[in-house]
Amino acid sequence: MDNQVEKKKKTNPFLTYFKDLGTAIAKGDVSVKLSMLFMGAGYTFHKQVIKGILVTLIEIAFIIMCIFYAAPNLAKFGTLGTVQFEQVLDPLTLQTTVNDYDNSFTILLNSIIALFLIVCFILFWISNMKSVYRLQVLDNEPESLTKKHINTFREDVRSLFSEKFHLTLLSLPALGVILMNIIPIFVLIAIAFTNYDQAHMPPNALFTWVGVSNFKSLFANSLTVTFGYAFRKILGWTLLWAVLATLTTFIFGILLAMLINSKTTKLPKMWRTLFIVAIAVPQFVTLLLVRYFFGDTGIVNSICSNIGVTEFLKSVGLVSQHLNYIPFLSSEHWAKFMIVMINIWVGVPYQMLIATGVLMNIPSDQIESAKIDGATNFQAFIHITMPYILFIQGPSLITDFVKNINNFNVIYLLTNNAFITPDQKLANSNAKEVDLLVTWLFRLTNDYYNYKMASVIGIIVFVICAVFTILSFTRMISGDREGDYQ
Amino acid sequence: MKKKGLALLMAATLAFGALVGCGGGDTSPAAEDSTQAAEDSASSDDASSDSAAATNDDAVANLVAATTDTVTMTVWASEEDQEFTQGLLDSFQSQYSDVTFDITLGAKSEADAKDDVLADVEAAPDVYAFAHDQINELVNGGALQEVVNTYTYDVKSENLAGSVEAGTVNGKLYAYPMTADNGFFLYYDKSVFTDVSSLDAMIEQASAANKKIAMMVSNGWYNYSFFRGAGFEAYLADDGLNTVCNWNAAGGTDVAQAIIDLGKTGTFVDAKEDADVVTGITDGTIAAAVSGVWNADAIKEAWGDNYAASKLPTFTVAGEQKQMYSFSGFKMIGVNPHSKNVGWAMLLAEYLTNADSQIARFEARGLGPANIEAAESDAVKSNPAIAALAEQAEYSYSGTVGGNYWDPAATLGLTLISGNPDGTDLQELLDNAVEGITAPAE
Repeated sequence: MDNQVEKKKKTNPFLTYFKDLGTAIAKGDVSVKLSMLFMGAGYTFHKQVIKGILVTLIEIAFIIMCIFYAAPNLAKFGTLGTVQFEQVLDPLTLQTTVNDYDNSFTILLNSIIALFLIVCFILFWISNMKSVYRLQVLDNEPESLTKKHINTFREDVRSLFSEKFHLTLLSLPALGVILMNIIPIFVLIAIAFTNYDQAHMPPNALFTWVGVSNFKSLFANSLTVTFGYAFRKILGWTLLWAVLATLTTFIFGILLAMLINSKTTKLPKMWRTLFIVAIAVPQFVTLLLVRYFFGDTGIVNSICSNIGVTEFLKSVGLVSQHLNYIPFLSSEHWAKFMIVMINIWVGVPYQMLIATGVLMNIPSDQIESAKIDGATNFQAFIHITMPYILFIQGPSLITDFVKNINNFNVIYLLTNNAFITPDQKLANSNAKEVDLLVTWLFRLTNDYYNYKMASVIGIIVFVICAVFTILSFTRMISGDREGDYQ
Repeated sequence: MKKKGLALLMAATLAFGALVGCGGGDTSPAAEDSTQAAEDSASSDDASSDSAAATNDDAVANLVAATTDTVTMTVWASEEDQEFTQGLLDSFQSQYSDVTFDITLGAKSEADAKDDVLADVEAAPDVYAFAHDQINELVNGGALQEVVNTYTYDVKSENLAGSVEAGTVNGKLYAYPMTADNGFFLYYDKSVFTDVSSLDAMIEQASAANKKIAMMVSNGWYNYSFFRGAGFEAYLADDGLNTVCNWNAAGGTDVAQAIIDLGKTGTFVDAKEDADVVTGITDGTIAAAVSGVWNADAIKEAWGDNYAASKLPTFTVAGEQKQMYSFSGFKMIGVNPHSKNVGWAMLLAEYLTNADSQIARFEARGLGPANIEAAESDAVKSNPAIAALAEQAEYSYSGTVGGNYWDPAATLGLTLISGNPDGTDLQELLDNAVEGITAPAE
């Protein structure tokens, strides 16, 4: 007996999954075997008629879906369509005739949905076989006190609201995730392998599969295509930005929270409210305003030149001689500096809120006993408060980091149209020094319709984010470090 | 001809009214009958006169007769044009009072109409306004119906040649010119400048008055002015996607040097954004600027009686005076070929751009008409900004360039106007820029 348990533990869950199916098919009675074709057969035969009918209805719906939806789309999936849009206007009657054209994008999208439905159906079919077999085993058990009762349909439905309530609760969010996240991601991945761009835009033109050539051109750095150069440069800045933005807002958030929490601060509630008001103003409004303040002819520049700051910076060499303004958002280093600064300003209130919550929960006995032992405030902060905050906020720091890799608002709203790259190689690939991968991706799709390269970048951003998340989560949360703080 | 059209319209109208009276049922034979009748009357009536016009009127009558359902259309016009356009839509509907329309007006800037139209052409509006520099992308994306025929007025002969050219791609007309005022020219303050014929003279006068002259040199749309003025080309290739450019040919470095020299004066300054121009004019630092009619009101308000406009000045290239060029800009009305009612959409587009509408648009909104007759009117000619545009028209390019032109050209402009800070060899600088400009669109 022990041996068997041991064995079972070792077997691959994947294998078990199919083994169970094999058992169901091999040992099932006629009705179970019949369920392979008519899915409701097993249920109907074993006293669960309504369930049998429902399952059969699902099967019929699936077959109809296959014939009228999946088959026509999947048939064209290999080529993504061959008939180009043609429309003829008869100048005499002012009526148009349109041919029965293929829309590559619709074919791609529908095929992926169809494939998805087919996979779902196969999984459903397998689980159906298994549960029909379980039902048969249950039904064939000789009458006894220990024999389990076969649920009626009503009881099944009721169980969805009691012991199986998790299924009911999770089905809606799961469906949402599939529709909103998973299918679009598959479409995005597929587009990276096509030539979907300005010259191949459905519905008027067709696009088709091109293999991995888009990935090749991303890393190629020939003279004509500077995409690889632009990619490396932007990737570097994206990572630097994500680190800077995350750390600065984090540190300043904690400092601010401690300042407000400090016993010597007057009116802490008022200060906290003021910072929360800053959150309540939509971020893009703040950013657009700030952008105009710091524009080349903006108010900050006119103040600076009036009080002589501009001249001073010129004499120090921070502003080049030919300018008569401070290029806050229009030269590379100034713009990067300003973006980080403005981001601190925009992001600190959030961090302050979180840090306030954490600070309030730090057990005061530790700090008090440390102080009795003669620790200074600073030592208490470094050795007790900081580790505690880091432990609690570790996961949220990682999410912040990933969020900052994709921080579209700050970069795009501050630099769009204001920043013109002086680097011809970047300009030739529609990129700028201050671009993050995500803003570059946006301009490629929105301004240049280069969907295929945008998808490639999208996949790479995804991979980067995934790698960072997995690495840091496993490092930070692995082990049972919670014990250290109890 | 007009009367006959009216008669046809009435015939069709009667037929249509009868149909409506019948309450649906089997309508198509009756509709065909009325069409037939209309055609008969037209041919017997007027065999000798302009037969093309007759078929055009027939077409409209046919369309009216064949339309039994509600005609649902969406129209996009700019935010500022909403009220005016709604008025035109109302009068269009009353002109065809026997057809039930359901026309929705949406607000969308002409400047970036393509972004939303091309995002989903099939869901895009039936009729929309756009700036002509987007025409290639729109044609490539299949978002424009070719104007194969016109019905209520002749688009090609009644509008300025440049505007028709701007609506034409590969020899086919794709859009209806609506305004001819999207180009740029020179605004100046009369109290500062007496001579605006050359940039050199202007710089002298401006520096004497301690004022600046602004131009968005770090923008491909504006810095084209210098290269084209000196005889270099950048234009759209035959494929409708890529740009042909010879700025790096022999002599191109002279133009580059000319821009560097202008930047070094300190009086001729680069404006990064349109807003910078307006701000500079309002606060009094800028006394002359290269801009377009969209800023006319703001500039007029700032300068009052000293407000003046003119064609662009000349500039010095290797010791010679060259006239600065302009991109001429037109706003167009386009019809979506994916519309359910292409016929009606075309008629509506014609209506929105006919001479009367263009005159009304000038009166209501101050937008310069593309219609020749409207452009000749005294009211239009006495508007300084529009008169300056007309003066500049001779030195302007009404075509477009490919999508890859803009970013490299902007960077080139920025490098030159900031005095080539890295000291790159000018020929190399131009070679790199042209390489980006002419890079095949992927």
